[in-house]
Amino acid sequence: MKIVVTYKWTCDPEEATVRGDGTVDWSRAKPGISAYDPVAIELARRLADAAGAELIGLTAGGKGVGTPIATKAALSRGLDRVVIIEDESLREAGRSELAAVLAAAVRRIGDVDLVITGDSSVDVAAKMVPTVLAGELGWPAVAEVTAVTGQAGALRVERAIPGGVQVLEISGPAVLAASADAAIPHVPGMKELLAAGKKPVDQLELTGLDVPARSAVMTVTGRARPERKARRGQLIDTADPAAAAAELVTALRAAGAL
Amino acid sequence: MSVNAWIIVGDQPTVGNLITVARALGGPVGAVVAGPRSVAETVAAGGVDRVVWCSAPGDVPAEASAPAVADAVAADPPRVVLSGRNPSERVLLGAAAARLGAAVLTGARSVSIDGGDVIVVNAVFGDIADETVAVSGPVALLLDGGPVPPADGGGAPIEEVSAAPLPLKVVETRMHDFDEVDLNSAHRVIGVGRGLKAKEDLTMIEELAQALEAEVACSRPVAEGLNWMGKDRYIGSSGAHIAPQLYLTVGISGQLQHMVGVTAAETIVAINSDPNAAIFQQTDYGLVGDLYQLVPAITAALK
Repeated sequence: MKIVVTYKWTCDPEEATVRGDGTVDWSRAKPGISAYDPVAIELARRLADAAGAELIGLTAGGKGVGTPIATKAALSRGLDRVVIIEDESLREAGRSELAAVLAAAVRRIGDVDLVITGDSSVDVAAKMVPTVLAGELGWPAVAEVTAVTGQAGALRVERAIPGGVQVLEISGPAVLAASADAAIPHVPGMKELLAAGKKPVDQLELTGLDVPARSAVMTVTGRARPERKARRGQLIDTADPAAAAAELVTALRAAGAL
Repeated sequence: MSVNAWIIVGDQPTVGNLITVARALGGPVGAVVAGPRSVAETVAAGGVDRVVWCSAPGDVPAEASAPAVADAVAADPPRVVLSGRNPSERVLLGAAAARLGAAVLTGARSVSIDGGDVIVVNAVFGDIADETVAVSGPVALLLDGGPVPPADGGGAPIEEVSAAPLPLKVVETRMHDFDEVDLNSAHRVIGVGRGLKAKEDLTMIEELAQALEAEVACSRPVAEGLNWMGKDRYIGSSGAHIAPQLYLTVGISGQLQHMVGVTAAETIVAINSDPNAAIFQQTDYGLVGDLYQLVPAITAALK
């Protein structure tokens, strides 16, 4: 059995600032493995161990995703090897384009039985790459996956539904998006970090992949800071906490907020 | 009749907002339903021009009909294809987007058509910035589905298609015996930030929540890092986006990444000891002071 787990090497928007003209300043942000991807890797590692499967990491992105620091960060979390598509044209790629590139890489890797992804990327958070990827491959996709067991061609998958859990059986290859809390990722130790440096890293050229052309072309024509609702900005004197509380409660009642 | 917009529907007819957005584009609107027949009927009565219903056996989840949905959409290619945000709707939209080679956008604030282009104002990076995007070619949009559409008196014809479903089936459904938090349906929400000194102090916040009939939520560091609350309770760019009547923050500094989750709140109150905290630029009522005095005082005032 061959399991691919996708991950993203990117920056967290919590560390970004937005300039007055709406452009995003990433200069103070440090790239890392996207927040929920370690969860997907942990979930995939447990399944791979139970099923005796090979676990392959896959990522596609702009310059930097193939640096030793990035590949070691991924490999130390339990991947057997990684496949990287590092091409600067992918930095600004849309969800659909990125998914098509990942699908082409899955086909190139060959004989893949299962793709596991994180819940969403920390930067774009669209939750659409796994679903378009499945569409490109013609495979079923299931999101919010909390547990997975079984073998290639006979998987038992649990997924969160509102108010409960649903168990699915999947016969055939599939794309599973792990829920944000599907597993608690372990922190790699020194031994794993050292071993990561010796694991195989395959770089694929984007131009060598069979990626179907997109029918849609996106052009960004404007950027802005989001509009904010006008707020009262009224400060309540807090010298006497009880009086301040009474004033607040009165104001909230008058505003219909209570 | 060739459609301008397709709406993709899973097993819930919560598509009121999608119909409104699709209608505003002008031109015929179709719906593809991968759920029970009753959902197709509700959508057909809700103001669309045609409905394609992908019928499937009962133990098959909506996701299994992804190829049938993609086929139906590709048979009459639209300018725009829309779905709600729940997991099965995302899967169906992804299949349609892959088939169409469509662009995918998930933060649309407005959608319009200008000649050959679809123009989308799209919130990016957890809504901290807006981009206006012109798309030539088909666009797949993930939007808030909205309520069940009321019957508009009309009834669109329903065409049934039955394609071989993908090989997945439901074998068991277990419901939790506890209530999950639904911040979106809460009228009042208290947001707790790092200004709170210890986890035990959440008791004081719970008391305020009880007096206020509010849900308790938090900023990201309180959920991820301090782990004082579940991730389902954190508000912000990558967390929940809510629109309550009242959002009362306690010890939250007001970083952009948190505040984008509450821009739609009716009234915002902030309690913070730092008079220069960014939060005071974004509130209706601000209280500069010690939260350990102010929170119990407000709880008392509500009683």
